[in-house]
This record gives sequence, C-alpha cells and structure tokens, in this order.
Amino acid sequence: MKDYDAIVVGSGAAGGIVACVLAEAGKHVLLLERGRALSFADVGRDHLRNQRLAIYGHNAGPDLNGNPRVFVNPEGRERIVRPHELDYHNNAACVGGGTRVYGAQAWRFHPDDFRMATKYGIPTASSLADWPITYETLEPYYERAEWELGAAGDGQALNHQVPRKRDYPLPPVPPSPQTSALARGAARLGWITSSVPLLINTEPYQGRAPCIACKYCVGFACPTDAKNGSQNTVIPRALASGNCELQTNAIAASIDVDSQGKVSGVTYFVDGTAERHSVRSKVVVVSGGAIESARLLLNSRSPRSPAGLGNEHDQVGRNLQGHLYPRAYGLSTTKVFDGVGPGVTIATTQFNHDNAGIIGGGMLADDFIKPPIDFWYDSLPPDLPRWGIRNKEFMRDNYTRVLHVRGPVQDIPNPDGRVTVDLAVRDKWGIPVARLSGTTHRATAEAAEFMRERGEEWLRASGCEKVWSAHPGLILSGRQHQAGTCRMGKDPKSSVTDEWGRVHSHDNLFVVDGSLHVTNGGFNPVLTIMALAFRSGEYIARQI
Amino acid sequence: MKTETLRTVVDCLIPADEFPGAYEAGVCDYLLKLFETDLRDEAEFFNTGLDNIELEARARFGEPFASLTPAQQNITLEAIQHGDVLTSWQISPQRFFEMLVCTTAEGFYSEPQQGGNRDAISWTMTGFEDQVTS
Repeated sequence: MKDYDAIVVGSGAAGGIVACVLAEAGKHVLLLERGRALSFADVGRDHLRNQRLAIYGHNAGPDLNGNPRVFVNPEGRERIVRPHELDYHNNAACVGGGTRVYGAQAWRFHPDDFRMATKYGIPTASSLADWPITYETLEPYYERAEWELGAAGDGQALNHQVPRKRDYPLPPVPPSPQTSALARGAARLGWITSSVPLLINTEPYQGRAPCIACKYCVGFACPTDAKNGSQNTVIPRALASGNCELQTNAIAASIDVDSQGKVSGVTYFVDGTAERHSVRSKVVVVSGGAIESARLLLNSRSPRSPAGLGNEHDQVGRNLQGHLYPRAYGLSTTKVFDGVGPGVTIATTQFNHDNAGIIGGGMLADDFIKPPIDFWYDSLPPDLPRWGIRNKEFMRDNYTRVLHVRGPVQDIPNPDGRVTVDLAVRDKWGIPVARLSGTTHRATAEAAEFMRERGEEWLRASGCEKVWSAHPGLILSGRQHQAGTCRMGKDPKSSVTDEWGRVHSHDNLFVVDGSLHVTNGGFNPVLTIMALAFRSGEYIARQI
Repeated sequence: MKTETLRTVVDCLIPADEFPGAYEAGVCDYLLKLFETDLRDEAEFFNTGLDNIELEARARFGEPFASLTPAQQNITLEAIQHGDVLTSWQISPQRFFEMLVCTTAEGFYSEPQQGGNRDAISWTMTGFEDQVTS
C-alpha cells in the first residue's frame, strides 16, 4: 500500500476540514472514518432512537454492540455503558461525525472565552487556563467556516460583544410565535437578543437547497440537505480534488512509530472484514473527538511512549469538559408553537461574562422543536402527575404553549474529569475502550444555577405565569460538546499540543478537534472546532 | 403477557377522553413488540410486575384489577408507584412502575410506525401535527 502525505483519523467537524484543506493544497490524504456514510433514510425519523432521545438506540453510530465504554460515577462505581446511554457521552460515528445530525448552531466564542484564567483567576481544584491564541487570531478562520460551510445569522446583532469583519453569507431563520414573546420579555428586562446563527441554508447556497422548516432538525438528518456539515461540504470538496481517499468502516487501533520514535502512520481495522492495515504517512492528524482522540493517543504505546503518545506529562485525556445545560420552561397564555422548524430563533449572550460572583456564564436560547415524546420526558412541570388524565390534559392543552429556554454554560475544567483507557475492557476489535471519570468543577454548577435563574426570569418577563426549571447537577459534562482532552498550550507540562495542534513531543503528529479547546466557551463549540481546523489545516499543509 | 391487565392499566395511565386512550391507540401492541425486541431482557421483570398488579388488586379489593372501579384502580397504581404495596414483590414496585409509565408514554407519543400512536392520535391531540397523517 502506498504512502500518504497525511492520514486524518475521523471525518467529523474538524477532520473533514483538515482533509479538505490538505487535499486542495495538493497533499495526498487518507481520511479514515470508523462509521459509514449515512443516507437520509439511514438516519431516519425514529422518535425513540435518535441522537437527541436515544432510549433504545440512536441513528448516527456507533453500533450498540461491540463498542462499549466504562463510566465511573462520582462515587467511584464503574459500569460498562453502551453507545446510546447518556453516560457513554456519545457523539456520533459516521461520515460527517456529529455534524450529520447536529443542530448546527454556529456560535463564535466570545473574546473573553480565550482568556478565562486572566479574567477570573484560577479557582481551587480547577485547571482553568488561557488559550495560547486570541479571538483575533481565530477571527479570519471563523469567517472562513461561516462562508465555506454556509452559516445563517445576523452579523450586526452581536458585533458589540464578538466583533466580526464580515457578515454571514445567509440571512437568519425567520422568527416564530415564541420569538416575539421572548423578544418582548427580554426588552422588558433590558436584555439584548439576537437571532441564533445556524449552519443551515436559509437560501440556496453552494448548489444545495434551502431549509424547508421541517420539525426534525437536531438529532436527525436534513431532508433537503440544507444543514451544512462536513459530509455535504468539505468532504465532497476533498474528494473532488482527486487527492483524498475516504476509507469508511475504518477503526483506528494505534498510531505507529518507527524505531526512532517518530510517527510513521496508522494501523486500522476494517469493520465487517478480517482486514488490518498499517498505512504510512508523513503526518498523522487525529480528529476523533475529545474522547476517541484521547483514547487513540493513549492506546498508541511504544517503548519510548509507554503511557501513550504525547502523554509524557500525564496530560492526555485530562480536562474532559463539555457543557451543562440548565433549562427553564414557562406556560404561555398564547400558542407559541406553529410547527415551523428548526425552532431555535432567539438568544441572549447578555450573561456569557461579567456576572457578579460567577466564573463565566452562558448563552440562553429557545429550543429546537421537540417531538411530543421528547417533550414528555424533558419539559413537563415537576408538580404534574406523571400519569392519568391530568398528564394527558397537560400534553393536550400545553404542548403548543410551553416556552422553553436553555443554553450551554462555560465549563470550568478540572484535571480529574478525564479519559483513560481500560485495558480490561475491549471493543470488538480488541482495542482497550475509553474509561470516563470525574465531574465538572463546582464553579460550573454555580454558573449553571445562575443561568437557570436567568432562564426563569426571562420567561416570567415574557408573560408566563407558571415557570419551572431544571438544573443538571454536578455531573461530567462531555457528551456531544466534548472537549479539552488534548488541550493546546505553551507549556508541555500542562498541555498536549502547541497552538497548531502539534503534539509537543512529536513533530509530525497533530490533534485537531474539540480536544484542543483549553476552555469550551459558553456556546455550542462546533464553529470553533471548524475554525481551528481551517487554521491547523493551513499550517499542516505548509509543513508537508 | 397478561394482556387483560395490561389493557386496563395503560388506559389508567393515559385514559380516553375526547381523544382515545392508550389501549385504543395501540399501546398494548407497542409494548408486546417492545418486550420481544429492545426490552426482551426485561420481559420477565415486566410480566412479574403485571402479575403483582393483580395480586395487589385482589389484596386490596378482592377483585381482578380490570373489575375494580377507576378510583380503586388508581389507588392501586398509586400505591405501587410509591412502593406502598401489601403483597410480597420479588421486584422493585417503583422501578416496575417507572418502566410501565415511560414505555406507555413512549408508545402513545412516538411516531405511528412504532405501533402505539395509531393514526397519529397523540400528534393531533398535542398539535405537533395539525392533521391526522398515517
């Protein structure tokens, strides 16, 4: 088998972009994806088996059998979990990764998100740190992600907090009945609101159709392919260049090193076959998401790297973070549901920073349309009986009248929230699985409580008489927004890579995905993952 | 599976009003299939729970569950929900009841193809869809 310039492991938000940038720069790329390409029909519309409500299964991989992880709860009890269970912290395993089924919220991080330690100090027992780069450094790459994948939004609305040089290529999604109710409430409180930026075609863009406003967005695939992920933007570009080969069903087992300890390629299995390949390349880019990327480095042991590649200072897999999501609900006097998707229309970033006594904060927005069973599980008031005629009457009368706001809270990282590998538990290819342990920091839970209160406040000001809410508690927060496990930094003792994603101890090994995030912002992280991927991709292309 | 018990129980959980109740919507069919597929490992647990509902009904009111008045049925189910049982249960009454409530709601509110939301009854009822579609 021939050698490649680069092997990219993982075809999600970051891997697809890195493969595209390298291939378009004339580099010969092998893009490995452990899942397969999923059609719209493959993803389906099962209300009980999707990425948002995965009671008996899910719809974007990995398979429920043969892909276990070990979860350790805060009391130290371990159990084996399957991919559709919450404690698995699944993202997805398919071409496009999580972007195949995500909600596509396209937030830039706030400039202060890159300097959390400087702004707030370092709380006890946290590993809070500044990024080695600033917002200004990343700004051109945010713009590139917005334009090359296709983002819809109102660029002026947030300019006071997050300055931008260029507007979005597409106008924002239109308002719904809930939008005006929440806008009035925010105005009463003196809060600034904006539309929610989305990587969704609100108009035809790059030859693909616009959004038809269906009720199945987050957790599902788009019927008109108007939701922009890696699978329908950068990966087709990479393949069209003639320089990229996409190998699906490819399970990376290890990153290989030569006798000098230099990274030489990747060994992978092909699912459904007995094939095992060791492929050589000049550079290896790991883009498997914060859990799988850490797992792959930790499973790449050699005499020179007995604890795994890049793990000389026991940093790989630490600082696992994501987002806690406080949520609030209110009963509106009028119908606020009109069946027009995606459903997320209005947000406030008023509380992302500068909240007295709180470290960080978060964004609050209305929510994607929830199928009735999702609403039944998620959104009912705690004082409502769980069964009987009153429960049915509430569903009948109020499914269309419940206003809902929620949002991601800036996670304060700690080194004990982590990914390790469990040598005693193997997947179906015999590879040690990821073991997840720890919780988030107390300061994150305090910020979540603050944001829960702001959510209730917003709903009361929006005319809701009955308001209720939920706090997620002090839990490990990885899930779809998983980040931080190979964070970038200047000091090899407290980080895994440099600002380009280059592993400190290995010149030709890069990590490019959410693992790099030093902190994860109080926003959905995908646009930041994409911006970093464009930036690292350009850099790696220059190195080969 | 004790279908007569199940039929009565699911209609206590989601009763008929101007919209059909759980049984008429097909929730029993949904549950029978669910406990043969995704929850087959829980089928014995679930059946034990249904048997215990009958024992509990007879212990309280001397009649099969289906013969009780709606008020007596609700008293029986509330007792099981809270673990205030009179008979000897080999399983956790609360865990059984939680499974019963959740799987019934899943059948009734999920998509019609799953079998428990015939003619999209619950979607019309909630307003998720404006009209009945099948």
